[in-house]
Amino acid sequence: MSLTLLTGSEAAAYGAMLARIEVLAYYPITPAFPAMERMNKFIEDGEMNTRFIRAEGDHSALAAALGASLAGSRTFTVTNSQGLLYMTEVAYHTAGLRQPVVMAVANRALSAPHSRFPEQGDAISQDASGWIQLFCENNQEVLDTILQAFKVGETCRLPVMVNYEGYIQSHTQEEVDVPQLAKVDAFLPFTRVSALDINNPQGINTVTSPDLYMDYKYHQNDAMSQALEVINNVAAEFSRDFGRDWSGVIEGYRMDDADHALVTMGSTVSDGRIVIDALRAEGKKAGLVKIRSFRPFPAAAMRAMLKKVQYVTVIDKNIVFGSGGALGNETKAALYGHLSIPVKNYICGLGGRDFRPDELKQVMALSEERAKQTTEYEWFGL
Amino acid sequence: MRKGGELVKMTLKDLPQQDLFGPGNAGCRGCGAAIAGRQAMKVLGARTIITMPASCMATLSGLNQKTAWSIPFYHTLFEIAPAVSSGIRASLEAQGIKDVNVVSWAGDAGTADIGFQSLSGAAERNDNIIHVCYDNEMYMNTGGQSGSQTPIYAMTSNQQKGKRTGKKDMLKIMVAHDVGYVASATISHPLDLAEKFKKAAAHDGFSYIHIMAPCYRGWNIPTDQSVATARKAVESGFWELYEVVDGKKTRTHEPSFIPVSEYLMSQGRFKNLSTEQVKEIQDAVNSHFGRKEAK
Repeated sequence: MSLTLLTGSEAAAYGAMLARIEVLAYYPITPAFPAMERMNKFIEDGEMNTRFIRAEGDHSALAAALGASLAGSRTFTVTNSQGLLYMTEVAYHTAGLRQPVVMAVANRALSAPHSRFPEQGDAISQDASGWIQLFCENNQEVLDTILQAFKVGETCRLPVMVNYEGYIQSHTQEEVDVPQLAKVDAFLPFTRVSALDINNPQGINTVTSPDLYMDYKYHQNDAMSQALEVINNVAAEFSRDFGRDWSGVIEGYRMDDADHALVTMGSTVSDGRIVIDALRAEGKKAGLVKIRSFRPFPAAAMRAMLKKVQYVTVIDKNIVFGSGGALGNETKAALYGHLSIPVKNYICGLGGRDFRPDELKQVMALSEERAKQTTEYEWFGL
Repeated sequence: MRKGGELVKMTLKDLPQQDLFGPGNAGCRGCGAAIAGRQAMKVLGARTIITMPASCMATLSGLNQKTAWSIPFYHTLFEIAPAVSSGIRASLEAQGIKDVNVVSWAGDAGTADIGFQSLSGAAERNDNIIHVCYDNEMYMNTGGQSGSQTPIYAMTSNQQKGKRTGKKDMLKIMVAHDVGYVASATISHPLDLAEKFKKAAAHDGFSYIHIMAPCYRGWNIPTDQSVATARKAVESGFWELYEVVDGKKTRTHEPSFIPVSEYLMSQGRFKNLSTEQVKEIQDAVNSHFGRKEAK
């Protein structure tokens, strides 16, 4: 194993390069752009045999990636925040057409007010889009998850978003092991599927009447449900081939005898491990539940993990206005009618506001103190 | 077309009998768009992939598991036909497939209005695709509202007293993109249209063809007058047939200059035009062709 210092952006670019994408399309945006520029450098240096489409906007970028996917290519794009919102129409369309485009998202807050800083609200805005949404806690996981994303997407015929936070991950170097191309080739073979096949003409996305539309949606959702198992299987296969276990859809850290579970996703998971270790050192039975797949949401696996705990603290770096944190809401929905545990949901670190491990520890203490209070969610760090 | 190195005018006999678009389409009687599609496909041939945004043409092209196209057909989102075509071309290049025409075929909205950004992007990149605008000069798929391609004074469903501004000149705009091939066409001149598709298909880079495609509903004309109306547009000089190859403009048909009122007054959408307004349009045509006055 040879370790290199890579930013999350570079890790994403390496992932796309190792996956041998045939077509790349994007429109520059901050903080995703370093990943884009790195891929162009790979192409110019001949390290990547990839056609690049210099789209004139994010909407067209995803459209071009979609067109290439329909014609049978493995395709990739990168964006975040406003770019992702602008792509939204094409995102839903891509999922409905069952095209396994992979998109890296360097999560950033949404305007207004204008912000360039990290938050997961952009990804959450796409929670009903039909994309598989995976969240990464460090840069190694970004690279590894992009490789897994192609395998998952191509197996399920669904598009996949790989999320890492802007700046906290996109612009921060960490030690990353870049796998050998031959090993990636063995893990990630490519079988061409061309919906737009010149030798087998088909009509794609014809006007669909009420006697068929609902059935398409049933099958699309069914594929999403089946993706839970596929994500787990692909993660297990990856672990066998590369020796790194990212646990599929969900991971429990020191959860075996835990009575207080911290539930979160993205970079807060890395901080969470430090906090859990500190609490354990103090003799407290704390554990961490890492949500790696927000879509599909692993509700049953989460219930199994939370069966014995007394406290649940959910950290959300997003706000669904008038409702709460997206992960908090999913957690409550997963437990409702099965387990009667108070779930405390905290909205933290929006728009790049610092949220440090010591604050995370503070939130967990607060959560136990207020466990009996019925507030739906609270803001921390105002 | 060339035969033995000599330029020979195409005749209808040179076009194949087979229709790659048409059978089973759900177009209205006399649908100008459907006629244009049928004519174009006789030249583009079976090695063609077509993308089409929301429009009458996309709607009439297929329902559920049926398609009126014998080639790969993809009904895209409204704004993205050129962008997906760029993606398809990139994929074909990656696969080493070279003998396929990639065509984005949009209405006037999907070309000049909501689809304009992705069209401009693909043209500026000079991606090797053909973009076709079939222009019925209003938003017919939603009942006939005004758009940028609606001519001045035409009555539409949301401007019943007539549109107050003129038609945005898409051909000039596409020429300004400095692409290799730009042409206007219409359904009353099928051989002219065929020659232009031949050139666009042969051009390695971005091509743009703008087809005037009358719509009986929107234009308020009898259903058997689509082709005749298109001919009046051409012969009056209201719709000029030309091509621009590498920036050089050539008129491909000399109009006989029938009075423009013959074109306008045969359509219900212009029935409220005043004599002054007709004269204003006639003057604009005269000025465009450098003529003193109408016959």
